[in-house]
Amino acid sequence: MASIELRSVSKAYDGGVHAVRDIDLSIADGEFMIFLGPSGCGKSTTLRMIAGLETATAGDILIGGERVNDLDPAKRDISIVFQNYALFPHMSVRKNLSFGLRLKGTPRAEIERRIGHVSKMMGIDELLDRRPSQLSGGQRQRVALGRALVREPQAFLLDEPLSNLDAKLRAVMRTELIKLHQRLGTTMVHVTHDQVEAMTMGERICIMKDGEVVQVGAPLEVYTNPADTFVAGFLATPSMNLMPARLEADGDGLAIHLAAGTIAVPEPFRAAYAPYAGQAIIAGMRPEDFHEKPAEAGPFGQLVETTIETVEALGPETILTLSQPGGTAFAARVSAAGTSRAGDKIRLTYDAGKLHLFDPRTTKRIARPLSV
Amino acid sequence: MQTRIEAADQRFGWMLSAPGLMLLGAVIGFPIAWALFTSLFDYTLIMPSYDNFVGLDNYVTALGDKEFGHAAWVTLTFVAAIVVVEFSIGFLVALMLNSTERGRGIYYIILLCPLLMNPVVVGLIWRMLLHPTLGIVNYLLGLVGLGPVNWLGDPTNAFITVVLVDVWHQVSFMIVLLLAGLSALPREPYEAARVEGASTLQSFWHITLPLMRPVIVVTLLIRVIFAIKTYDIIYIMTRGGPGDATDLISYFIYRRAFVGLNLGEACALAGLLLAVIVAMTAYLHRVMRKV
Repeated sequence: MASIELRSVSKAYDGGVHAVRDIDLSIADGEFMIFLGPSGCGKSTTLRMIAGLETATAGDILIGGERVNDLDPAKRDISIVFQNYALFPHMSVRKNLSFGLRLKGTPRAEIERRIGHVSKMMGIDELLDRRPSQLSGGQRQRVALGRALVREPQAFLLDEPLSNLDAKLRAVMRTELIKLHQRLGTTMVHVTHDQVEAMTMGERICIMKDGEVVQVGAPLEVYTNPADTFVAGFLATPSMNLMPARLEADGDGLAIHLAAGTIAVPEPFRAAYAPYAGQAIIAGMRPEDFHEKPAEAGPFGQLVETTIETVEALGPETILTLSQPGGTAFAARVSAAGTSRAGDKIRLTYDAGKLHLFDPRTTKRIARPLSV
Repeated sequence: MQTRIEAADQRFGWMLSAPGLMLLGAVIGFPIAWALFTSLFDYTLIMPSYDNFVGLDNYVTALGDKEFGHAAWVTLTFVAAIVVVEFSIGFLVALMLNSTERGRGIYYIILLCPLLMNPVVVGLIWRMLLHPTLGIVNYLLGLVGLGPVNWLGDPTNAFITVVLVDVWHQVSFMIVLLLAGLSALPREPYEAARVEGASTLQSFWHITLPLMRPVIVVTLLIRVIFAIKTYDIIYIMTRGGPGDATDLISYFIYRRAFVGLNLGEACALAGLLLAVIVAMTAYLHRVMRKV
C-alpha cells in the first residue's frame, strides 16, 4: 500500500494545449479517491500520468513518497484497469491473470496460488480456461480486476471501469468494488464521469474541470458545500437549481429577489451575505430542499407558490419542473405519493437553511456558516 | 418465404450485376471452360481438331513429366523464397512505419511506387540495369572493385536475381497490408502489457504476433496465390533460363502451348495449376470469413 501525491503536475501537448494544469493532490495510503468530471476535463490523463502511461510535462508524482516521474510503469508497482478492460484476446483467463507474473519469473506454484486466491475472490474460478470473447461484459470486468489484483500492487488505478456495463451490472460492480476496497485496504484511484459512482464509492472526490481541480472533499461535504456553480451543477440528478437573483436589504434583514418570489435570508447567514447586498447573485437551491409539508422544511422554511410544468414520476419519488414567471424553470424533488399534474398550481416550502449564494463574477460560493 | 419487396430487391441486384457477370463470363468463364474441354483432347497447334478424345491422358502425362516436376520444384522454391523475404522485410518496415508519427504519407507514396509499375516494365528496367556489360549495377560494383556479376546468365544468379527483382516490386504489397493490420490493433493491450512489465520485444512476441495472426495468414495466402502465377517477369528477364533455372510453371505451360504447340497438354497443366489456386483461394476465403 502507498500514498500518492501530485505536486504542481501539468500535462501539455504540442501546440500548447494543456490537458492538465498545475494539479496538487494528496491521496492517503489506503484511500479510495474518485476523479470526477465531464469528458475532456483531464481526469483520465491524470490517472495515466500516475500510471506512467503519459509523461507529466511539469511537476512531481510521488508514490509511497518516492518520485516516480522517470520510472517505467512496471516499476511503479501499480495496477490499472482500463475502460474497455484491455484483456489479451488471444489468451485464456488463466493466462491473462498470470501474464505479468510470468514475465517477472514468479515461480509456477506461487502463480497458481495467487490465481486460485484471486479467481475465487472475484468469482471467476469457473472461467479460467475461457477466452475473453467467451465472457460477458461483467465477467470480463471481473477478469480485468483479477488481473490487477493478482500482482498485489501498492495501488489500483481504475479508468472508468464500469462505464461499459449496463445499469444493473454497474450497480452490482459498484458494490463489489467498495467491498473489495474494504477487504484489501489498498489505495484506489477511480476515474468516472458518473456522479452516482463518485458519491457512492469514494472516500473523497476530486472534481476536475478543464484540466484543473475544482474541489476535493468527502462526497457529502462536496455535495452540501459546492465550491462553485460548476460543482453545484455537476453533482446530483437533478442538480442544484442555479437561479439569477438580487440580494437586497429588507429592513434589518436581507432578501433574495427571484423571478418566482422573494426569500428571506436566514439570520445566521446575514453577516456573511451582507457585503453583497444590492448586487446580483446566483441563488443555489437543491431540488430536495423543497417540501410539500411546511413542517419538513425546518425553522427557515419559506413558502413558494408556482405552477407545475412537467411531472417525472420515478417510482420512489417525483421530480417536478416548476415555472418561474420571467425566469428559468427549476426542479423540486417531492414524494411519490402526490397527485400533481402538469399545469397545476402548487405550494412548496423551501428550507432556506440550505440556501447557497454564488458570486456571478467568479462563480465561487459565497462563504457562510456551514450549518444552521 | 420471400416477400415481394425482397424479390424486387433481388431482381434489381441481378440487373445491376448482369453486365459485370456477362463480361466475366466472356473473358474468364469461357476461356476456362474452353481450356478444360481442350485438355481432354489430343489438340495441337499443328493439327488443331477435337477428333481425338483422350480423356485424362493429358493430365496423367503431365503429372509423370520430369520437366513439369522440375518446373513445379522451381516454382515452389521461388514462391517460398519471395514470400519469406517479402514477409520479413515487409513486417519489419510495417513495424517501423507503424511507430512513425510524421511523414507516414510520404513513406507510403515512395513504397507504393514499385507496386504501381507494370511487371513488364519492371522486368525491362532491371534487365537494363543488370546487363552484364552495359548495366549500371555492374558499373557501380566496378567502382568499388567488385564484379562484374553475370546476373541473369548464371543459373544460380539468375534465380536469385529474379527473386530479388520480384521482392523489389512486390514487397510494398506486404508492407501496406501488414501496416493496415498493425494500425488497427487496439492500444490498450499494449498499455496493459507495459504496466505488467513487458519489454518491447515481449510485447511484440506476446501481443503483436498473436493479434496479427489472422492478418499475417491472409497476407501470406494472397501473396502465395499471386506468386504461383508469376509469369511476366520471367518472360521478360530470363525466358525460364539459363537452361531451366527459372522455369516457373506458368512459363512452362506457355512453352508447352506456344513452343511445343501441344495445346491439349498445356491446357491440362493449366487445369492442374488452376485446381491448386482455387483450393488455396477457397482456404483464403474461409480464413478471411473468420477474421
